[in-house]
Amino acid sequence: MAIAKAERLMNLALCLLGTRRPLSKRELRESIEAYVEAFGPGPGAAFGPGRSALSGASSGSEDSFNRMFERDKDDLRELGLVIETVENLDGEVGYLARRDSNRLPPITLDAEEAAALGLAAKVWQQARLAGAASGALQKLRAAGLPEDVDPYEAHGALEPRIPVHEASFEPLMLACRDRRSVVFDYRKATAARPEPRHVEPWALECWRGHWYLAGWDRDREAERVFRLSRITGKVRSRAGKFRADVPDVVTVRETVASWAGESADRTALIRLRKGAGYPLRAKAVGSRELGEGWDELEIPYGHGLDAWLVEFGPDVVVLEPAELRADVVDRLRAVAKG
Amino acid sequence: MATNAIDQTRRMLSLVTYLRERPGARVGDVARAFGITQDELISDLDVLPLCGTSFRGGDLLDIDTDGDRIWWHNPDDVAEPLRLAADEATALLVAARAVSTLPGLRESDRLALLRATAKLEEAAGEAAGASSRLSVTFESEGGVFADVDRAISERRRLWIRYYSPARDQLSEREIDPIRLVSVGHTYVEAWCRRSEARRTFRLDRVAEIKILDEPSAPPEMELRDLSESLVQPAAEDPEVVVEVGPGGRWVAEYYPHDSAEELPEGGLRITLRTPDPASLRRLALRLGREGHIVSPQDLADSARSAAREALAAYDGGAEPQG
Repeated sequence: MAIAKAERLMNLALCLLGTRRPLSKRELRESIEAYVEAFGPGPGAAFGPGRSALSGASSGSEDSFNRMFERDKDDLRELGLVIETVENLDGEVGYLARRDSNRLPPITLDAEEAAALGLAAKVWQQARLAGAASGALQKLRAAGLPEDVDPYEAHGALEPRIPVHEASFEPLMLACRDRRSVVFDYRKATAARPEPRHVEPWALECWRGHWYLAGWDRDREAERVFRLSRITGKVRSRAGKFRADVPDVVTVRETVASWAGESADRTALIRLRKGAGYPLRAKAVGSRELGEGWDELEIPYGHGLDAWLVEFGPDVVVLEPAELRADVVDRLRAVAKG
Repeated sequence: MATNAIDQTRRMLSLVTYLRERPGARVGDVARAFGITQDELISDLDVLPLCGTSFRGGDLLDIDTDGDRIWWHNPDDVAEPLRLAADEATALLVAARAVSTLPGLRESDRLALLRATAKLEEAAGEAAGASSRLSVTFESEGGVFADVDRAISERRRLWIRYYSPARDQLSEREIDPIRLVSVGHTYVEAWCRRSEARRTFRLDRVAEIKILDEPSAPPEMELRDLSESLVQPAAEDPEVVVEVGPGGRWVAEYYPHDSAEELPEGGLRITLRTPDPASLRRLALRLGREGHIVSPQDLADSARSAAREALAAYDGGAEPQG
């Protein structure tokens, strides 16, 4: 059976952390059993710690060793390891992970702070970030983070969860992190078909359980906000630097809130049946009784109010403005004809 | 939790650091500190003796366990605490910042989160930079949250006036709160004394709340994972079929459904289940020309007659009376 990847990565990490001088690829290949087993001791090796059936490596296995070695280094870098590439006196490339660039700076957290981070570490529902959050907590534990009882568990009661259902989340998160532009097919809310978009991704934000991306739309040459659930198909990243400057503050929620009609600058006057429409009452800026089972309410008038009012059917009558009245009547007619 | 090679490697690196400081550590304690099962820990302990701290082999970690305690016989200074990776810093910082903005959170908890966040940012250094590219806001009603939180910790019953959007009605209930769950919106899961069943209530739909003197006594029950979907329709619930045009595709984003078939011209045919189809009348009215109910017929008819009744008040578009 092939040696498990975790064992191979662990050995590579320990070799790189344990050495005081750069180790060449050849030295690493000879000293890590998983490489020897899979690819033989390597060209020109005088000896190896173990003989394998595959020794006497061909150039094909040389290539596959190189690929695996590069991937393994990338994986360790994802774990936070700083691996330096140094040329030695003979012009040979060597690798090492210096202690001082890999050491966690001293951090002292009290029991309350430790408990707070313990709660935060459980919040992600996305595999990569959930793994990263527990990994961070484990590194802090190893560095002496107190292990007291979680005060929330004492009464068992608070569970914040960050939902991530969109497949496009992970590639977009990595693209935001590494500042790489992306292309994806996007279906606008009312469009019949998706269209390709080329975007420099700035930031991702989750609001009311949905994820949004803010970035620079290269074709439209303007800032845009995208809803991740409307991205269809794969997100592909593109090489090359960003063309537009990344703003210091990226505002996603304000844009989305205005889509949701929450940035109302006007008000509307409606008649509402008594006992009905509690959410309208909760938002009302003014109200009075009309008698005969009706109230009059003044409510904020933003985008989408017509669709919301229609939900209340015969319990709501729009008084003004005329434009809103017309929109509501229009919608009701469409349903009545149904 | 499924373990992949990356997560396991990360964990084993921290494990050696942890074990160096704690000779003879107990398996149960270490598993708890690392948030893993004892089996997962044992499988890590099987791998570690195959790993070496120096090149050319020979110098393997001499770590073993008798199933109760763990010993590392040749501790090595390779095992220093490791700096945080960008993803690790991001995952923890974004989550901590999100929780700290939860309206209604206890002040002492909020302050602890903010202090921890500041220390973590400093320790993470450059690795903390990318965390500003991700953010999460939880919605909650602060006042209601604080009352529910207090009722849970003091084990007391709550009285609420709760809004049901399906019926557009407020109703009074007594509930025994179990936990607060934030998934975008914040909900309280509770035992509802009126329906004698477990229910979740969204905090922004609680119109009024009072903490009662009676003790809370929810029956013992297994806690479900509420994150996937708070509304869990049952297989025996009646089926509703809705057809929407491109402008009504949002229905599939907001309503848990069994299927959503693509229609020509960018529409969808959505099949969903609900214990109470009448509650979807609101959806039918909202859709307007962007979609309609295909079945059941009752539901389609009730939306139509509600629209006609509503139109009557507009008297063909003239100013309403009153």
